[in-house]
Amino acid sequence: MTTDAPTSPLNRRELLRMIGVTAGSAAMYQAMSGLGFAAESPYKGPIDLQGAPHGASVLILGAGMAGMTAAYELRNAGYRVQVLEYNARAGGRNWSLRGGDTYTELGGATQHCQFDQGLYINPGPWRIPYHHRGMLGYCKRLGVALEPFFQVNYNAYLHSSQAFGGQPRRYREIKADYQGHVAELLAKATQQNALDASVSKEDQEKLLESLRDWGALDRNYGYIASNDSSERRGYQKNPGGGLSARPIPSKPVGLADILNSGLWEGIPTGDTFDMQTALFQPVGGMGRIGEAFGRELGALIHYQAKVTDIRQDAQGVTVTYEDSGGGGSKNTARADWCLCTIPLPILAQIPMNVGQALSAAIGAVPYASAIKVGLQFKRRFWEEDEQIYGGITYTDLPITNIGYPNYGYFSSGKGVLLGAYIWGLNAMEFTSMTPEQRVQKTLDYGSQIHPQYRQEFDNGVAVAWHRSPFTMGCYGMWSSDARAKHYDDLCRIDGRIALAGEHASFLGGWQEGAVTSALDAVERLHQRAVAQGDKT
Amino acid sequence: MNSWLNPLCMPRVAARVFVLGAAAVAAVALADDSTFTSSAGVGDVGGAQIYSEICQGCHMPMGQGAVGAGHYPKLAGDVALTSWQYAALTVLSGRNGMPPFGLPANQVQETRTVHLSDAQVADVVNYIRSHFGNSYRGQVTASQVAALPHPNSPPAP
Repeated sequence: MTTDAPTSPLNRRELLRMIGVTAGSAAMYQAMSGLGFAAESPYKGPIDLQGAPHGASVLILGAGMAGMTAAYELRNAGYRVQVLEYNARAGGRNWSLRGGDTYTELGGATQHCQFDQGLYINPGPWRIPYHHRGMLGYCKRLGVALEPFFQVNYNAYLHSSQAFGGQPRRYREIKADYQGHVAELLAKATQQNALDASVSKEDQEKLLESLRDWGALDRNYGYIASNDSSERRGYQKNPGGGLSARPIPSKPVGLADILNSGLWEGIPTGDTFDMQTALFQPVGGMGRIGEAFGRELGALIHYQAKVTDIRQDAQGVTVTYEDSGGGGSKNTARADWCLCTIPLPILAQIPMNVGQALSAAIGAVPYASAIKVGLQFKRRFWEEDEQIYGGITYTDLPITNIGYPNYGYFSSGKGVLLGAYIWGLNAMEFTSMTPEQRVQKTLDYGSQIHPQYRQEFDNGVAVAWHRSPFTMGCYGMWSSDARAKHYDDLCRIDGRIALAGEHASFLGGWQEGAVTSALDAVERLHQRAVAQGDKT
Repeated sequence: MNSWLNPLCMPRVAARVFVLGAAAVAAVALADDSTFTSSAGVGDVGGAQIYSEICQGCHMPMGQGAVGAGHYPKLAGDVALTSWQYAALTVLSGRNGMPPFGLPANQVQETRTVHLSDAQVADVVNYIRSHFGNSYRGQVTASQVAALPHPNSPPAP
């Protein structure tokens, strides 16, 4: 084929780009997968910290994923380790709310979770991609059982309050129809020789063949109501057995309707690297990982310790903390080194003698506003009435997500789903409400998609991350500008203090960012400690 | 779409219908009656509503702040508010993890933040300086806010 002819309006690369733009990243990925692009995980397997100096100690601030990863590895390497944790539990944002749990947010509102036995909501992280090998590795080492998390469910909904009369559409319909129509358009352009100058005759034949296959087109490259298209989008009447067996094909939605609905935005939700199958969740809730880490570290963690001052000198680091469980008495802890995983909005307020560069970096990262609302219903109507087993419905309503439980399928008891997962302005508005108002609003919106909500609602909990006493926000939102200016400074060791956490990673908001940043910081601290030799 | 209760936002909605054509007409016609904005922005709402729907999430309904592992500053009686510049710069650029509200509207996506106009920043600064028992002197104007440095991160590559 000709690729560089000046008259060529479209070469192979441009064709790939065009497929990417018109058909979404799935087609692009499909087209490119032969090129062998594959992202590497930064996780290199369990780290090897040999030669820890005798008697050397590390004080770790925060018992979330970063702090406990560091504590686990440093302890195993022979360091004397202590962990100070603000909460009365291990895990930090790795957390599940279950029946019987109580949560008091900033401002004083207390929620008593009334979910049935075995049901839960993950207010923080809820999925682990297969390539987050650090997280998965620790689950394996700690004996935390994992099960599949479904990012994409073809029978869940895409919903726009502004399209199709506000009625939700099944994901499979929108995906099949969008793909089919785009395939038909591209096939027509090919047949009309619009691509002649850039795609060879031989490639055009292959392209047509692939478009028919990819788009479920008929022999004339049309996307029409047929058994072929219904095999993608679903039938009007499903094939069965016996006399009433004959299937009836369904009628595709027109391209203009799909384009105007905006629902195409929801098609690639499972195509980004972070969301590609397979994903996992711990059996029993994400919080099982933090709990397992907490059990493993046992008495090394000092709970209900609120850090109020961090001071380093030539020999070590002294941290002052208030015992919030024991009447606010002041205590100090001291070690040769300090690994600090305290979220930046809190750390920015704690007096700490570090250099100007680190200090500026700590103050440079705004924290995202985010909301999660868990709703318990009297029955699993999404399964019983709508055959939705796990996965996510996406909507343009402020709730944005309805996440169906990826466990307990077909059980006859109650069920808990994620009723809202909100960012940005709407999250700020929800944060400003009482927990009861958040649940009520979530019901109002969700019932536009599932009318069963009103009848079946039992109880709910709502977590607003800016009201979280232990993070004051959901996670660090780096702008490219702030990252260019401050990221390296945030990660560099300042004297005897190193920072770790998702905020010190390029995996913002992901637990894998916390784990890999902790391992990276621990390796660098270890090198420094080794260089200083044994303690006398 | 834009559905804050404040009637001041109506002219803006109408203007958008005119500019954007059929799609926007449909959107306005079907807009639900909640008090919620869309991700499109906060419209032209004033200081009181900006406070009650955004600021109070952290600074609390009576400006009383909150204390946990860290704290949200109490705005009631906060002497730092003597300086309207301090207050306005904080709203524009954020502080210690507080999101900036002065990023250009086309740059808020990257950090999932919210854009407020200079007039809105002035309005909410005036609001917090004159409520919760505060009565700091001087009204801030949009042009005074406009003269302050604004955060301006370059668009992502």
